[in-house]
Amino acid sequence: MSPAAVELDGIWKRFPGVIANAGASLTVRPGTVHAVLGENGAGKTTLMNCLAGVYLPDDGAIRIDGQEVRFSSPADALAAGIGMVHQEFRLVPTFTVAENVVLGAAPSILDMAAINREVAALAERFGFDADPERPVWQLSMGERQRVEILKALWRDARVLILDEPTAVLTPQEAVELGAVLRRMVEEDRAVIFISHKLDEVTSFCDEATVLRGGSTVAASIAIADVDAGQLAELMVGSSSAVKSLAPRVGVAGDVMLDVRKLTVTDSRGLTAVDALSLEVRSGEIVGIAGVAGNGQRALTDAIAGLETATSGSVTINGSDVTKAGTRERVDSGLAYIPEDRLGVGLAPKLPVTHNAVMRSYRTMRQGPLLSWDRAKAFCSDLISRFEVKVGRFDDPMASLSGGNLQRLLLGRELSGNPVVVVASQPTRGLDVAGVGAIQHLLVKQRDEGTGVLMISEDLDELLALADRILVMSEGRIVGEFDPRQASRAEIGEAMIGAHA
Amino acid sequence: MRRLVLTRRESPTRGGQPIAFLFGLAFALIGGAILLTISGDPVFDVYERMWERSFGSLDTISATFNRAVPLALAGLAVSIAATMGLWNIGAEGQILFGATAATFVGRIFPDLPGPILIIAMLLAAALGGALWALGPGLARAEIGVSEIITTLMLNEVAIRLIVYLQTTKWKDPDGFGFPQITARPEQARLGIIWERAHLGVLIALALIAAFGWFMNRSVWGYELKIAGSSPKTATYAGISMRRKVVGVMALSGAVAGFAGGIELGGSAVRLSENISNGFGFAGIIVAALALMRPSGVAVVALAFSALQVGGLSIQTLGVSSAVSTILQALILFGAIGAAVLSTYQIRLVDRKVTT
Repeated sequence: MSPAAVELDGIWKRFPGVIANAGASLTVRPGTVHAVLGENGAGKTTLMNCLAGVYLPDDGAIRIDGQEVRFSSPADALAAGIGMVHQEFRLVPTFTVAENVVLGAAPSILDMAAINREVAALAERFGFDADPERPVWQLSMGERQRVEILKALWRDARVLILDEPTAVLTPQEAVELGAVLRRMVEEDRAVIFISHKLDEVTSFCDEATVLRGGSTVAASIAIADVDAGQLAELMVGSSSAVKSLAPRVGVAGDVMLDVRKLTVTDSRGLTAVDALSLEVRSGEIVGIAGVAGNGQRALTDAIAGLETATSGSVTINGSDVTKAGTRERVDSGLAYIPEDRLGVGLAPKLPVTHNAVMRSYRTMRQGPLLSWDRAKAFCSDLISRFEVKVGRFDDPMASLSGGNLQRLLLGRELSGNPVVVVASQPTRGLDVAGVGAIQHLLVKQRDEGTGVLMISEDLDELLALADRILVMSEGRIVGEFDPRQASRAEIGEAMIGAHA
Repeated sequence: MRRLVLTRRESPTRGGQPIAFLFGLAFALIGGAILLTISGDPVFDVYERMWERSFGSLDTISATFNRAVPLALAGLAVSIAATMGLWNIGAEGQILFGATAATFVGRIFPDLPGPILIIAMLLAAALGGALWALGPGLARAEIGVSEIITTLMLNEVAIRLIVYLQTTKWKDPDGFGFPQITARPEQARLGIIWERAHLGVLIALALIAAFGWFMNRSVWGYELKIAGSSPKTATYAGISMRRKVVGVMALSGAVAGFAGGIELGGSAVRLSENISNGFGFAGIIVAALALMRPSGVAVVALAFSALQVGGLSIQTLGVSSAVSTILQALILFGAIGAAVLSTYQIRLVDRKVTT
């Protein structure tokens, strides 16, 4: 048997406070389309970035055609025949298709007419319909993606990595992409296809490797041997008994957060949240399960006031805050742990103290001045109550580890005695101790009578913590489950819209 | 095979700001020496003359201080805008309009006692500068128009306005037909504190210190830091980005306009389109060399002032004053290069790729 086109063996990659890959492995045979499956945060993109030379793995081996390699830049990987099409395209909009394709790999004497012919011939060979002389800004997202693929093919990539390629495509374009990929593998190239859309995986791919929590849970399984339900189960976790972390003791009380027929349109004019209704009562944790990118972020941002609702209403503790700004919502009793902690919830370059008082500094006024004595006292109280490990108060926020960042953020939000907590991916990327601490705090808050809305892509976590699980897909709630009774597979299928 | 790569440091080197500036200065002096040698000029004599005429005697030092005042204030103005990631390229225009507003006050109250008149003129100058920057601030906050373009274009408007006043309404009747604006009232003059240095030196220092103090101690400064960190974080914290953008642009303009008032009351006797003297643009470089931190603008402005004053003096040696301009530019290059090295490090890596 010929050596594998790509072999990743026991790859480890750690980031401060986060382990992205914990001994992940992947073997891709030439002439196949190989799916890499996994939930968000499973480590797919990090693993691919290691292969494409973007990251240097901390441990583990990369072998190409049986030869061990060590890439210190994407150019090295490209030279070894590994091309990657990232989720965000890297094209020059004012250049033509052909100019983009040859950029950085053009012959030293430019004969554009010849290059145009060659690029057209290359496109033809793989069944693309591409006009080499059109400027890229005129192209649709699907056409731009083909330019990215052509770029890799121009450099004669033997292995092409596509990171969630169909996310930007229409269903018709996705089918066309599938045909192109088949042509590539007919030439004995290998394609690595990252996705979490099971129907595409089953229709385009030959084999699949499933990642979970940074490691490989199923390697090179033949697609023909499994059905969508089995893949879903592999992605979201084993069917072992779920231990509920802390069963609810009291009963759910009054409605603390009431979302009615909420519709949110995102910056591209697409409907991110579609007439969604939900309510969260005091003393319960409502979990929202779903694959990333199904409107979760727009939903939580609209509840918190960072995004404006197109229609519908948001009521917190009886007061209608649909039109209110973020501050009024916090005053009504909302606490918000945003998904993007460093970009939204914290100011990473500013000192710890500045971050600690972000919600309460208005109460520390002394005329036009801010009482830093009171701010420091507040900060030190927060740090000791929530066991945040901090060097000095003046250190920039970003110097804290992921778990400590989140503890401070959560502590700050909880210190205002909220009636409802909206926590978006509160444990994502944290180490085991961090996850435990954050979960414990949320459960404690629930037991004290706060309503908690928790968005997580980790189904295990929701099963362990939530009193009710709502499944969100394409901006709507598509199912409600009782975590004590529902099976993982049932919820998993609702999440990915598989109707098995 | 081995090669050099640039990798980001875990954290920026401490003390990067002064090191970057000193490195820039050294880089400029060496680069300048090479250029002077190539053009056949006596390097040592030129540098000696520049030193002598900027720091050589108490008299020249005081002149250097005077020139540093508008440079420092313009630098402060630019760095205030930069706390929010805004670029105020229009300090030049704000200086001019500030001086115009001060002149206007001087024209309507020509008989007020000196101290009262100069205070009124300085306040008018700050107000004028704020007004000149308010439009770009509003356009940026409300409809997202780039403040770089609007502030830059308003520079030209301010120049034309003064040229118009020079030839019409405010034309000096005793100017023998020469298009110049009537001199400001004689008593509206900043007092001399030492040699030639006027009160503006102390006022500018106080202003820079006050701003730094206010930024660190006030609620407003705190909110500004959050807003400068990320617009999303600001919204999250309930801080209005619109109000912050407008407020910061107005304050930046006020500081630049104030510099116009200081120039009118200190070094100049009448308003002209040359009163800004490129200080507004040099202020951008001063702010950049101070790495956009208000704390550094005073020192950088003093060094820059010395270069400019010294640069003018070498013409008598038969060397073009362009040498000074080249030195100013080289400092910027060197300092920016050094600033890059404080956040990145150069490493030699082994290239082991087998395919």
